[in-house]
Amino acid sequence: MEARVAALRRLGCLLVPGFAAAAAVRAEPALAGQPLVVLDEARPGRLVLEVAAAARALGIAPGMTEAAALARSGGAICRERVAAHEAAAQSALLEVALAHSPRVEEGGPGEVYLDTAGLGALFGDEATLARRLAAATAAAGLPARVGIAGSRVAACLAARWGAGAERVPPEGDAAYLAPAPLALLGLPVEMARRLERWGLRTLGELAALPARELFERLGAEGPRLQALARGEDPRPLLPWRPPRRFEETRELDWAADNLEPLFALFAEMAGRVCARLEAEAVAADLFEWSCRVPVARAPGREVRGSFVPPVPTREAGAVMAVLRATLAAAPPAGAVTALTLRAQPVRVLAAQEPLEGEPRPSPRALAETIARVIGVVGAGNLGVPVLLDTHRPDAVRLEPLDALFRAAAPSGEKRGPGEGGVLALRRLRPPRPAQVRLVGGRPVHLRSGGLMGPIVASAGPWRVSGEWWLESRWSADEWDVELADGTLGRLAHDGSAWVLEGVYD
Amino acid sequence: MAIATEPLPSPGWGLESIASLLEAFPRGQLSEIVGPRSAGGSSLLTALLARATAAGDLVALVDGPDTFDPAGAAAAGAELRSLCWVRGRGGRLDAACHAAELLARCGGFAWVALDLAADLTSPARTAPTFAPATWIRLQRAVRDTPTRLIVHASRHLAGSAAALVLAVERGPARWMGSPRPRRLDGLGSRVRVLRARPPAPTAGESGTEWKLAWRL
Repeated sequence: MEARVAALRRLGCLLVPGFAAAAAVRAEPALAGQPLVVLDEARPGRLVLEVAAAARALGIAPGMTEAAALARSGGAICRERVAAHEAAAQSALLEVALAHSPRVEEGGPGEVYLDTAGLGALFGDEATLARRLAAATAAAGLPARVGIAGSRVAACLAARWGAGAERVPPEGDAAYLAPAPLALLGLPVEMARRLERWGLRTLGELAALPARELFERLGAEGPRLQALARGEDPRPLLPWRPPRRFEETRELDWAADNLEPLFALFAEMAGRVCARLEAEAVAADLFEWSCRVPVARAPGREVRGSFVPPVPTREAGAVMAVLRATLAAAPPAGAVTALTLRAQPVRVLAAQEPLEGEPRPSPRALAETIARVIGVVGAGNLGVPVLLDTHRPDAVRLEPLDALFRAAAPSGEKRGPGEGGVLALRRLRPPRPAQVRLVGGRPVHLRSGGLMGPIVASAGPWRVSGEWWLESRWSADEWDVELADGTLGRLAHDGSAWVLEGVYD
Repeated sequence: MAIATEPLPSPGWGLESIASLLEAFPRGQLSEIVGPRSAGGSSLLTALLARATAAGDLVALVDGPDTFDPAGAAAAGAELRSLCWVRGRGGRLDAACHAAELLARCGGFAWVALDLAADLTSPARTAPTFAPATWIRLQRAVRDTPTRLIVHASRHLAGSAAALVLAVERGPARWMGSPRPRRLDGLGSRVRVLRARPPAPTAGESGTEWKLAWRL
């Protein structure tokens, strides 16, 4: 049965030799035919990564330094490797394959496989299909070699060894590869030398060795190399799917100049984006939105924003609650003619409930609640407090609530003797201006807002200061005071004015 | 289904008393801590947050007047990573009540504290007025959840919706140094049960109170 399936299997390989250089030429067609040298900036010394044929003729080879390559006569042209160019070239290669077959596998940079079984009715015989694939990749700006065979390995080796558009007859992979040189396998130097010492020159000679003795000398690597030499590769094709875009855009026939229609449209778009996330069993940890506001004699200005949900979510209601609050707090300045909502997908892992202590809340349910609370109090007014590494009074920032879900289990540490009985200060934000009367350098009367009265006890001043090396330096003398009515407060004098920082309660 | 109410602890003094008193707040019910300015109500609430977060519980604090001091809470032993702080910037106490209702209804937090203390610099610390339905809504939101909902205000607001009302009364402030004070050392507070439903064993006894000490 397996043999019958193998006999029916036909796979094609699109291979772009010197992919980085090919991608550079595709991005800059004027480099075609020039002695191009692609440098790898990530490696120390700016080494040559790939060279075009014209540069190879000048004696430039991968691994040389940039200086050595430029020293060769002939005027080599150096270009740095650009990841974006390579990504675009890879996409083009995949698009060519997808235009011919619904089942495509990405083998690596400049290497794509496609299932060619059953394509005869559409494109003619395999030789025609191979030529057609080569022409299509050339039209896409990539000099690809094409091989069609019964396995992935055989197709790849055929693409490397063949004339450019090669077709291996069905069940003839081993016979086709037999005369091919061993170098085609791209073996490590040590292994290549070892096989050369054995007198092996072709794949056929390697394939003909007795398997048992080969295993005794090379271990598991021996049978693996032998299978490669015969073009055997039982692994099925792993279909590649284009990455899904979780994005919705709406162009409006009329300009929306108030928020309600925008909310309705965004709700519809959020529903669609979240349905797509649901279908893919993923959630989003970032939502980006934009509104296009037309400007006179200009294509328009984009008002953009983004928000991070407390936990990755695909609940349209939760998304809309935050979006509604955000837009209501800062509506677009002008009528809107187009809307976009984009989600960044992440895979969500199930969490294990703790065996001890109180059960943790469902992150999703909590995220929805938090989103609603943000809708009530506004974004930026809710989070996990984090103390800043400074002695400045009231130095605190709010972090997103995902920290809440990473909250550590109880430490079980023994509580210190002073903990649990600390006098709390209720901070006034901002501190209220105060009028303080002094006698003998000590405050004796306070008036701040409606709080007024004689001070019956006081302690201070306590000098607090810091960050004297910055523009934001601060310094104040603090006093603890008790009013006649029993109110305990903290006063501060920064050298120019008194303020009431807070009330002890 | 009747919700079990923890019995109130025996009156006592000091840190042991704080620890046992905090266990008296019933789950699935609305409780209140009421008291005038500088009586120790906020210190009691902070001690509550510290104890709950240190035990690994998730706590939400809806800070209506935006006067919570995270540094002070951390000094009291609070695990701030387990605290969701909702800041009521702008002084919209109705929004704070709505936020607390949503958080209590979700049931994901072990404690939800709603701070409704009035303007600290007002001459008499008067609490703003709320519609009576506010407290019924809050009580119904927390009902049948494992959450303890605590309202902190200057006076008893929730009426019959509150299952437990603790009144915090101002004790003497303690100053170090004589005859001239050198340092504020702390504050004493007395806590009485104004209301407990069902009546707690210690609640009906006249003159029972907890004496608490807060150190700066």
